[in-house]
Order: sequence, then structure tokens, then C-alpha cells
Amino acid sequence: MLEQLAISTLNGLIYGMLLFMLASGLTLIFGMMGVLNLAHAAMYMLGAYLGYQISKTLGFWPALFLAPIALGIGGALLERYGLRTVHPHGHIAELLFTFGVAFIIQEAVQMIWGRIGVPYRIPAELDFPLFRLFDTPYPAYRIFLLVIAVAIFVGLFAVLSRTRIGLIIRAALTNPGMVGMLGHDVPRVFMLVFGAGAGLAGLAGVIGGPIFVTSPSMAGTLGAILFTVVVIGGLGSVPGALVASLLIGLVQTFAVVLDVSLSDLLNVMGVNILRGGIFDDIRHTTVAQIAPILPYLMLLIMLVVRPRGFFGSRDV
Amino acid sequence: MTQTALDLKDLRKDFGKTPIIRGVSLSVAAGERHAIIGPNGAGKSTLFHLISGRFPPTSGTVSLHGRDITRLSPFAINRRGLSRSFQVSNIFPRLSVFENVRCAVLWSSGYGYSLWHLIDGLSDVTAKVEQVLAQTGLSQRRDTPASVLTYAEQRALEIGITIAGGADVIMLDEPTAGMSHSETSGAIELIRSVTAGKTLIMVEHDMSVVFDLADRISVLVYGEIIATGTAAEIRANKAVQEAYLGTPAGAA
Amino acid sequence: MISTALRGRSGAIVWILAIGLALLLPEFIPSKAALTKMCLIGIAIIFALSYNVLLGQTGLLSFGHAVYFGVSGFAAIHIINLIGRLQLPIPVFLVPLMAGVVGAVFGLLFGALSTKRHGTAFAMISLAIAELVAASSLILETFFGGESGVTTDRSLGPSFLGIDLVSQSQVYYLIVGWGVVSAGGMYAFTRTPLGRLALAVRDNPERAEFIGYSTRMIRLLAFIVSSFFAGIAGGLAAINYEIMTAANLATAASGTVLIMTYIGGVGYFYGPIIGAIVISLIQLSLSDVTPAWLLYLGILFIVTVLFSPTGIAGLLERHLPPLRAGLFHRLIPSYLLSGAAGLVFCAGAVALLEMNYHVTLNAHEGPLLRLFWLTVDTTQPMAWVLAMLTGVVGFFLFRKTWPYVANAWSDVDMRLRESKP
Repeated sequence: MLEQLAISTLNGLIYGMLLFMLASGLTLIFGMMGVLNLAHAAMYMLGAYLGYQISKTLGFWPALFLAPIALGIGGALLERYGLRTVHPHGHIAELLFTFGVAFIIQEAVQMIWGRIGVPYRIPAELDFPLFRLFDTPYPAYRIFLLVIAVAIFVGLFAVLSRTRIGLIIRAALTNPGMVGMLGHDVPRVFMLVFGAGAGLAGLAGVIGGPIFVTSPSMAGTLGAILFTVVVIGGLGSVPGALVASLLIGLVQTFAVVLDVSLSDLLNVMGVNILRGGIFDDIRHTTVAQIAPILPYLMLLIMLVVRPRGFFGSRDV
Repeated sequence: MTQTALDLKDLRKDFGKTPIIRGVSLSVAAGERHAIIGPNGAGKSTLFHLISGRFPPTSGTVSLHGRDITRLSPFAINRRGLSRSFQVSNIFPRLSVFENVRCAVLWSSGYGYSLWHLIDGLSDVTAKVEQVLAQTGLSQRRDTPASVLTYAEQRALEIGITIAGGADVIMLDEPTAGMSHSETSGAIELIRSVTAGKTLIMVEHDMSVVFDLADRISVLVYGEIIATGTAAEIRANKAVQEAYLGTPAGAA
Repeated sequence: MISTALRGRSGAIVWILAIGLALLLPEFIPSKAALTKMCLIGIAIIFALSYNVLLGQTGLLSFGHAVYFGVSGFAAIHIINLIGRLQLPIPVFLVPLMAGVVGAVFGLLFGALSTKRHGTAFAMISLAIAELVAASSLILETFFGGESGVTTDRSLGPSFLGIDLVSQSQVYYLIVGWGVVSAGGMYAFTRTPLGRLALAVRDNPERAEFIGYSTRMIRLLAFIVSSFFAGIAGGLAAINYEIMTAANLATAASGTVLIMTYIGGVGYFYGPIIGAIVISLIQLSLSDVTPAWLLYLGILFIVTVLFSPTGIAGLLERHLPPLRAGLFHRLIPSYLLSGAAGLVFCAGAVALLEMNYHVTLNAHEGPLLRLFWLTVDTTQPMAWVLAMLTGVVGFFLFRKTWPYVANAWSDVDMRLRESKP
């Protein structure tokens, strides 16, 4: 029981760090440009597929560098020639554009790699148990993911707080117009941030793909989880994204593991009401069944109750 | 004894820890034309936002015709007879001029949220709109999308939308901002005619407009009213002179 | 909504012609397969029009409109089954109205929540609600029937004036009838005070508050109107297919109606009608021809968002002034030139995509692909090179010839301005 708890906690934290790699870029893009990049999860998927493809030909380590760079460049071009064109037409047009991009990436991936998943495996060099947690061996690859994610966090923090470009980005988060007036090339900064976000998504894909199945459906559920993280953490807040990612990573991991149904809970509490028909359906739902929709529930509650999240300075 | 149209009692507004409005008290009588002037950043627009319901005040009260409207929503305040314009034209860009004004007369014409009336057949609504268009000189442009209008036309439309609902307390936020000399004189006449018999509160920078239209003037500096009075009284007021011109060097 | 062509007398003529066409279509194309397609298109038209009440009229982008379509459809199935079980004297052709009411009720419930926010937050709330409803459809098996959905028999109700809805033909005329009523209702809605105020809220939600209206209330009421008509569409779908499954609620269905409405044109009342017809035809016909059809749909959507945000209706309206002024012929040469270049580019791109799909998905069919009128051997590198060359050449030709189109338009626009009094 304690072992299960420990392993689930570690898994949850590592999943949370993967989410952070994705959410950090998304929240910066959202906070800075006011655009919710609906294609972010699709970029993650593309990163995983590219990672698989490059791993097959050149190896995992080249993939780790090349795939994020490819996505970064692609993202920058997308901003330069796509988002910038629709920006004057308002937020709805921007949302629709990223929606269209997500749609196309989804189809393109299936066109190139097929409708079934691909066998993206953990590279042999990292496929060994690193330590034993109680009685269970814990895979080294997951720790590798953790290390990379922490490095990303430290790097992001350093760039944002100590470099000039980081200062400009933080200023543009609160007042992009003014930053432009001060002589900074705000469109170029937007392009950079969008490209960096896409690159991070790609990196997350390359690393996450082997653990969390690489298939065309991987973008769907992840999207909602990402939105939830960004909204809970607050627009534009990287620390907020970290806290929210870890929180949701843990919640999702534990929810899947718990095979408890609502009726079990009610029985434990001694409550014996609501029987028959539709209520039976509800009562027999297990937490594991609800796990995939928990992010949507959290998203809904957060948006209705407190749209600026826990650390955000602006409303969604 | 004239009634009080608008009464502000010790109105304060802080944004975070920064106080912007620091205790404004003002009484405007019914039918009075009152101008609020002051240096940039004094908080004039913020004061308008507090009165019209855009922001809630941190403390203090606003009363309209003796009834408290302090924490009401903008539409509730508007329904009670207070209507305001905006410093930056806040019109409905994709709708025609006619449609812009028509939307503004709907509530006061008593149609509420109706989906049972066909608007083209509502002759009372159409008549009111035609009247406002004639007053603002926009009859010729009635079918033009509002975004295509010239700047002065948009300012006229802005005023038109504000008065169309028949509110008896009209607040205009820098109605002549950005206008040329000739456009300004036209605007002054427009304002005079559309606010005849109503209470007018106006934020203005253009002193010629202020002295031409206003019965009384209040001077707002750093969120406080430092003087209220007639044009002559304000001109002679030492504090006002210092606020605008500063103290002479060597005299402090 | 700025609907220049369809107002007044000429507008009325176009509508009467359209309705006449809809009524006579089964005579012109008397095949059963065609009839089924026409039924589907009819339902899609009503659904898309209802979506535009939210998007084009009130400025609310929803990713979950299929919820109201789907839930109402499920309700309709249960109502028809109830009519059959209890032998109620309610003719089935009235069920769409009841489904509409169900849609409106859920519109009120979920709308009250959704309209607390607008813009991106509203869009995300709509997505969350859609996913939650779709997920609960698998959990609440009594209402949603689990994986296999729920079924009914539309002939269960009493026969009324010879209408028993047994034949597909009768169902078609039922759909046309409700289509005319719905479109008429939604058009009338745009001419009511609430309908005009919705446009104002779309344009400037803040200002609307200062002219005496609660923006929230306007959005909520528009939401209810929108979900009412979505419910009618759902009820008709229930009658037409006699089955509803979780797929009808899925976010994919919401995405489809969004794409339909936007490509058709959100700024004009008839835009969604065009979009529904075009996209439905693509879905029905192209899906048999190539596995790439969904990709083509996505590309069409993105191209519309980037280069023609006013949609097909917007493009049509743009051409009306030159047509009326007799200047249209001035555009034709540049259109032909640029169009030809564009076609070359598309041919190359399509060839590449088709070959790619063939290699990835249909490899079991062998290396040969039927492309347009040719048979292509996908193992030959020459085929790929040729396709790529065609695409690249076409692209550069298009870039070179497009300025002619731009020039022709500025010429036409100038003449139009000069001819105005």
C-alpha cells in the first residue's frame, strides 16, 4: 500500500513535470499574445512522431536535439506567416487559426505514419532500473525525464529573470503595447516565444513519447489537461504552471489508480439513498472511469469560479 | 429650491495600493451644466467610470436623483436615467449609423429583450432614431458602417448614442478631443442643443468649450477636487493657478 | 448581419426559388442514395444556422454546440419510443418541436454557466461541457444507451393526414418543412430587438451595458435561441436515422459545424446554408474517393481563416457590386490566369498527398494509385519528383499571376467609387 503510494507519487510528479514542459510554453504564449494555442498538444504529438522517426534513422540523442529545433522553427514560421496575418481580425480568428493548425497536424500525422500508433521505444542506453523503491524497480528513463524537465525549469527561470530578452518578455506579458513603444521589436519577440513554446512541446514529445504511447489520439486528452493547467496556474505565470502541472499530474495519476466507485464511498459513509435507473449508473461509476474527464471538470470549475487562476494577473 | 441630480459623497478608488480618487464630494443640480477640468492623470475618466458603474468605488457613495446607485451595474444605472459617452469613441463598428442609434433607443422605448416584435415595423423607434440622426447631423450617413465614419462623425455618433435613450443626466468624456477649431464649434452647438433642459457633466480640456458651456466648474487634481465654482471664480483661484502653472521659482 | 443581396424584393425571390428547388430536388435527382444525402444536408443546414446565431450574430465561439443537437436527439428518440409504448396521440412530425424545447432547456442550464464568461474562456467552457456530456453519455447508460446508443422506429406514432413517415421521401419533406420554419424563425430573430442587440454585443459588449442592456442576459437569451434550433435539428436527425449514439455528441461533431459555418461565412445570414451544403457534399462524396478528404477539409478551413475570413458568402457578396455595375468582365482574364496557375499548384499538391496516403494507408492495395485520370506507380521516384515539380511550379506561377488579380480589383473598385453619386 505504501509502496503503491510512493510509486504513484513519483509517477505523478514526473508526469507533472512533463506537463510543465508543455504548460510553460503555452502559458507564456497565452499570457503574452493573448492566444490560446489550441495546437500545442498537436505539436507535442508531432514532436513524439518526429522523435520516433529520427530515432529510427539517426538515433535517440540526435532526435533529442533535432526534433525540438524542427518544431521551434516550424512554430516561428507559423507565428510569422499565420498568426500575424489573423491577429488584426481579433481573438476569435486567432483561436480558429490554431484550431485549424491542430486539425491539420492531426491529419498530417496520420497521413505520414498511419492511423495506428508507432512503436516508439525507450532507447536501450536508458532502459534499466535506476533504483528500487521498496520492492519495485524504478525505470531510469523516467528519472531522465525528470532531470530534463527540471533543467528546463531552471533554464526558463534563468532566462526570464536574468537576461535582457527575459525582461522584455516579462514586460510584454503585462503591457505589450508599451514595450513596442519603447523600441523593442515586439512581433519578433512574439515569434521567438511562440517558436520556443513549440520547441519545448516538441522536446516534451521526444521524451514523453516512449512512456506515454505514441499514437494519433495522444493529442486529444492532453489538450484539455494542458488548458486546465494553464488556467489553474494563471495566465503567463511560469511558477503557476509548475504548481498546477504537479498538482494535476498527481491527481490524474492517482485517479487512474483508484478503482473505487461512488457507491463504495457512499457505502463507507453509510449512505443508502438514490437507487434505481439513472442513479445506479452514477453510483457505479468508478474514479478510474472519471479520470479522463477530471481535467474538464476542473477546467470548468476554474473558469467559472476564478478565471485568473491562482497565480495569474489577468483574466482568461 | 433646485433638486440635486447627482451627488457624490467622499468617493474613493484605489487600484491595488494606489489611490486614484482620494475623496471626491460633489453636488450637481438638476439642469446644471457642470464641467470637470484638471491636468492629465488627475483621474477624470476614472471618476466617470465610478459614477457610471464601470468600476465599483473603494468607498463613498453616488446618488442619482436622491437614490443610491453606488454599486449598481452600468445597465442598471443607465436605466435610471444616467448616460455617458467615452473619450475614445465606443461605437458598434460593424453596424450602420442608423443601427447604432437604434440600439440605444430600444430600452427606453420599452422593448426590453423582446424577440416578439419585428423591429422594422416599430415606427416609434424609427421616429426617435431619425430625430437623433437629424440632431447630430448624421442623417445622410445613416446606412454607413460606423467604422467608416470620419473622426468627427464618430464623435457625433458617440454623443448621439449617449443621448438617444432620453436620459436626463448626460456625462460626456472629452467630447471634443482631437477636433479642429471648426469641428469644435459645431460640437459645442450640438452639445448645447441635445442637452437642453438636461443635466450635463462634462470632462474637458478645451477651455473655450468649458467657459462657453459650463455653469459651474470643478477642478480635479490628483484625485481630489481642489476648487468648485463659476468660471470667474475658478480663473481667480490661487490653488487652480498653481495646479496648472506651478509655483513661481523662488517663491516656494 | 449585413445581407445586401437578400433583402427586399430580390431577396424574397431568391428565397422562394431556393425553397422551390428544395421541394423539387427529389424529382430532378430521383435516386434513393441522393435522397438520403439531401436529408443529411437539410439537417446540417438547420444545425449550422443555429450555430451562427451564437458565432456570427452574438460573437460567441463555441466548441461544444453538438451537445444541444445530441441531447435533444436522444430525447427525441425516447419521446418517440414513449409515444409508441403509450399509444399517445402525438404525431411524430411534431417531435422536432419538442426536441427544440429540450435543446432550449439545456441551453438555459449550460448557457447560464457558459455566459458567465466570453471570448476564449467561453470557448473553453463550451469545450469542457461538451467533453463532460460526451463522457457522461457512456456512463449514463439508461438515457444514452452506452456504446450502441438508442434506437427508435419513426413510424411508431399515429398517422396524421396520411403522414406516417415510413418512406424516406416523407422524411425529406418533413426536413424541408422544418428547415423553412427554422430558417424563417432564425431570420425573423435577426429582425427583433433582441436579435439586433446581439449584434451590438458582438461588436462592442462593453458599450451595450451603457445603453441599458445586460450583455450577459443578451448572450444567455441568444444561447437559448441557438440551442432551441439545434434541438430541432437533433430531433430531425433522430427521426431520420432512427438511432442516436455518443458520436452525435462528440467534439468532432461540434468541430464540423464550426467549420461548416465559418467556411460558409459568418457575417451573412445565408452563409451557414452554403457552408452546410458544401461541407456536407465534401463529407459525403469526397470521403469515398480519397482518404485525404479530412486533410483537404482542414486545409480549406485554414485557407479560409487566413485569406478569406468572410467565407464563401463574403466572396459572393464582394462580387455583387461589380456584377451589378457591369464591370465583372474586367476581372475574368486575371481570374483565368491566376486560376490556371492555382490549379497547377493544387494538382501537384493533391498528387503528393494522395501518393503519400496511398503508401501509408493503402499499401495493401499495391503500388498503383488511381489519380484523376491517370494510374500512378507510387514506387517510381519519378512520379514523386513530377508531382513535387508541378506543385512548386504552380506555386511560383500563382505568386506571379496574383498581382494581376489585385490590379484588376483596384481598377474595378476605382470605377465603382467614381460611378457613385
